[in-house]
Amino acid sequence: MERLRRLVFRLLTVWRRDRAEADLAREVSSHLALLQDEFQRRGLTPDEARLAARRAFGGVEQTKELQRDARSFRWLDDARQDVPYAARLLRRDPVFAATAAVSLAIGIGANTTVFTIANALLFRPPAGVVEPNRLVDIGSTTDGAGFGTCSYLTYLDIRRRTTSFDGVYAYSLFPRAMSLAGAGGGAERVFATDVTTNYFTVLGALPAAGRLFDVRDKEDPGASPIAVLSDGFWTRRFNRDRAIVGGTLTLNGHPFVVVGVASAGFQGTGVRAADVWIPLNMVGVTSPQATALLTNRAAAWLLIGGRLKAGVSVPQADAEMNAIGRTLQREYPDQNRTTDLRVLALSPVPGNSAPIAAFLAVLMGIASVVLAIACANLAGVLLARAAVRRREIAVRLAMGAGRARLVRQLLAETLTIFALGGAAGLLAARSMTSVLVSLLPALPFPVNASLALDGPALVFTTGLVLLTALASGLAPALQATKTDVVSALKDDARVPARLRLRQAFVIAQVALSILLVVIAGLFARALQRMGSMDPGFDAHGVELLSLDLPLAGYTETTAPPFARAVLDRVRRLPAVQVATIAAALPGGFERLGLGGIGGPRASAPNGQRFVSADWNVVEPGYFAALRIPFVAGRDFDGAEREETEQVVIIGEGAARRFWPDKPTRSVVGESVVQRGGPRTPAQTRTLRVIGVVRDPRYGTLVEGTTGLYIYVPLQQQYVPGRTMIVVRTTDGRRIADTIRALVASMDPSLPMLTAQAAEEYTALGLVPHRVAVSVSGSLGLVGLLLAAIGIYGVTAYAATRRTREIGIRIALGARRGDVLRMVLRQGLRLVLVGSAIGLAFAAATSPLLAGLFFGVPPLDPVTFIGTAALFAAIGLAACYLPARRATRVDPMQALRYE
Amino acid sequence: MASESRDRVELLQGTLDLIVLRALSTMGPQHAYGLAARLEQVADHPFPLNQGTLYAALVRLDQQGWIKGTWRKTENNRDAKYYAITRAGARALEKQTDRWRRLAGLVNKLLLQGS
Repeated sequence: MERLRRLVFRLLTVWRRDRAEADLAREVSSHLALLQDEFQRRGLTPDEARLAARRAFGGVEQTKELQRDARSFRWLDDARQDVPYAARLLRRDPVFAATAAVSLAIGIGANTTVFTIANALLFRPPAGVVEPNRLVDIGSTTDGAGFGTCSYLTYLDIRRRTTSFDGVYAYSLFPRAMSLAGAGGGAERVFATDVTTNYFTVLGALPAAGRLFDVRDKEDPGASPIAVLSDGFWTRRFNRDRAIVGGTLTLNGHPFVVVGVASAGFQGTGVRAADVWIPLNMVGVTSPQATALLTNRAAAWLLIGGRLKAGVSVPQADAEMNAIGRTLQREYPDQNRTTDLRVLALSPVPGNSAPIAAFLAVLMGIASVVLAIACANLAGVLLARAAVRRREIAVRLAMGAGRARLVRQLLAETLTIFALGGAAGLLAARSMTSVLVSLLPALPFPVNASLALDGPALVFTTGLVLLTALASGLAPALQATKTDVVSALKDDARVPARLRLRQAFVIAQVALSILLVVIAGLFARALQRMGSMDPGFDAHGVELLSLDLPLAGYTETTAPPFARAVLDRVRRLPAVQVATIAAALPGGFERLGLGGIGGPRASAPNGQRFVSADWNVVEPGYFAALRIPFVAGRDFDGAEREETEQVVIIGEGAARRFWPDKPTRSVVGESVVQRGGPRTPAQTRTLRVIGVVRDPRYGTLVEGTTGLYIYVPLQQQYVPGRTMIVVRTTDGRRIADTIRALVASMDPSLPMLTAQAAEEYTALGLVPHRVAVSVSGSLGLVGLLLAAIGIYGVTAYAATRRTREIGIRIALGARRGDVLRMVLRQGLRLVLVGSAIGLAFAAATSPLLAGLFFGVPPLDPVTFIGTAALFAAIGLAACYLPARRATRVDPMQALRYE
Repeated sequence: MASESRDRVELLQGTLDLIVLRALSTMGPQHAYGLAARLEQVADHPFPLNQGTLYAALVRLDQQGWIKGTWRKTENNRDAKYYAITRAGARALEKQTDRWRRLAGLVNKLLLQGS
């Protein structure tokens, strides 16, 4: 109790310092006065008595110091003095303060930005959800790869069989665009996520108004025409009017009763944002012929999530789910043949956490290197400043100041700079985040990952500031206070240890900058390679409209004719040059499971006949629309049918792979074997090659391509799922609206089509590179600049210290050229050592990133030699200025100095 | 020089607080000078009292709420801060004295046993 009371008082005294000081001074002088009275009483004169009193009392200042120690926390008390003192010092040297704060702001800002993104995509628990740590994602994998959707029937099986979960829910992978009928006619587009009626209860979400779906709501197809609004949509569209609860929304022409509004910020567990949630058993109502989605085991359109029972771990649940997956494979060999089930810890980007984390780790690494450079730079400057203040520090040490006290004061200065840098860094992070977001292409559905600087980001930044301030301030502070008082006061010029430390900082700076510039160079080379390289197709002026036929109830037999009918009508539209339908475009993320493919014999390197390939399912005109040239043979002619000869067009890579010793042209007419097509999963079929086309020279980051491109006609091998209408117009005009109207006139039940420029679609695969190039490139530049400043600073400092020596040399007859060379040599040695370390470091690091470089070798000579040359030039320039100045030393003046 | 005075502080740490409490309890309210004079008077040989440690002890006791300081006039009409023991201080003195006696007894016993 007393201890606590004392602690409080000690803390309080820091803020009541002036009062306590005055009280203490008054008390001590009263003490002295009483002593003086006593001595006077013994017969001394007033003057003698005063002196005697001082003598008897002892050291007034020491007494006060001891009292202060007991009264308060010294370090806290000191900090109150140190920080304003540091601020005064910084104000006196605004150039230094600004440079330091800006370089730190960039380093800290970059780190905060990456952290904010990582936090949004990987760590932040979903809003409005109870105990998110017990939530998991459940998905399907094919041959152990990917993390995908499941069918509704599979979901029901999982829910029935599992014992690891308190609840299992499902939701559609992408929010679906729907038309919302307005009050006065007309329609607007809203995004709806189909969910099971237990969705909100399992997540533990609470309503902001009305209620959410719960056990009352039936799961039978078409039985629950109800909707829950998102808080954002409620605000945007209905101005938070509670009267909407109980009202009706007309979605795709069907009435839905609004039962409630979800709490603010709630958007399920992912980054995809929906305007409304509707029970997924209503999918047949919003798209009248899509009831098959609820009954077809092959229609995988749902992501599944679950709440683990208390005490059940993710691996335990995963093991159980694997077993369920294998059972389903046995029970439904046709549909579930290659599908395994997996359980993963909850993520806003289910199944994509690992590649995103890897990419963000690269960015974080780059950002950390920049920060390290800024810190090394600052540490070097601090060291130089400490050298200037050597006398001041020595005087204070001689006067009896404690070393710890001085270290604390120097650290307070560093911390003040870092606090400035951190605050500026937060501002910088805000603009960096918006620049990064602007690099992203448009997505066909809304995504909401808040990148605001929230609590965790602030904590992260503060921690970073403290850590880096300590890391870069401690060594200079310790070094500065290690001063040998006597030699410092005599202004002895030899303090080699400090210079060595400073040189070490510059070497580290050069090495880290080289690493950064090499990586930036490699990314730029990779991007340049792809830019200058003919991608093998031309997406410019091509428009895409997604078409989800299974969602509108089309089956494997009705979809192909309808697709053909749509295509025929689109082709007749004015301004349409070429139109086709395709399942995927190069650079997209889709990969269709059309089974393995084999050449005439077991030619695969591992001796297996069938290998996996990148499949695409297209209508005639695909190659013309994307201007992919034919090497040999011809396009599909449109007459392909189920019963006619099965044909295929392959890419050059596949031709070389299967017929290594034949010229590509003569491959036409040969056959390949497909195992496990969409309708004949367990059988093989022979496909005759009718054409060979150039390969798109394109890799994507998230899923690399196999290099084997196989195109099959849609009329022979339709795969249920999203397809795209691909249109090239004669004059580059966008005609998405016309096509939408046309499709709506043919089948009003088809969900609204989302349109996109093909360039945006294909650019998606390049996003990580563009981000990496801009991040590493701009940060590399900053590092370069800081390194130049560092080299200049240390060379100039060393030259100034040698002024006397240089003066003597010149007086003894050294030529200016000799002096120039001498100073240059000293500076360039640092550049050389730093460069060697940096290049070695870069050579060790770049192979780790080789996968991101698109075939640019990790030890790309252009990049490495270029970087080395760049640093040599910059190093020379940074050393030349101080060297020039050194040659102008006037020997008389230099010798007289002392 | 500095280290010498620190030794002295360590020597008195803890016991000085008790002595001050005791002095205030027997003498009634006292100022720092009065306490210093009293301590030197009580000691048989010159008491190595550092004024600084006395002031530190006073601030410690004050913050613990065991003594309370008020500014008053001395008989000679000088300003002085008089410290008086509080009720909590009196209780603490009793406890601390008891503890000290037991500790001193134990140390004594151990030291005597050895010889």
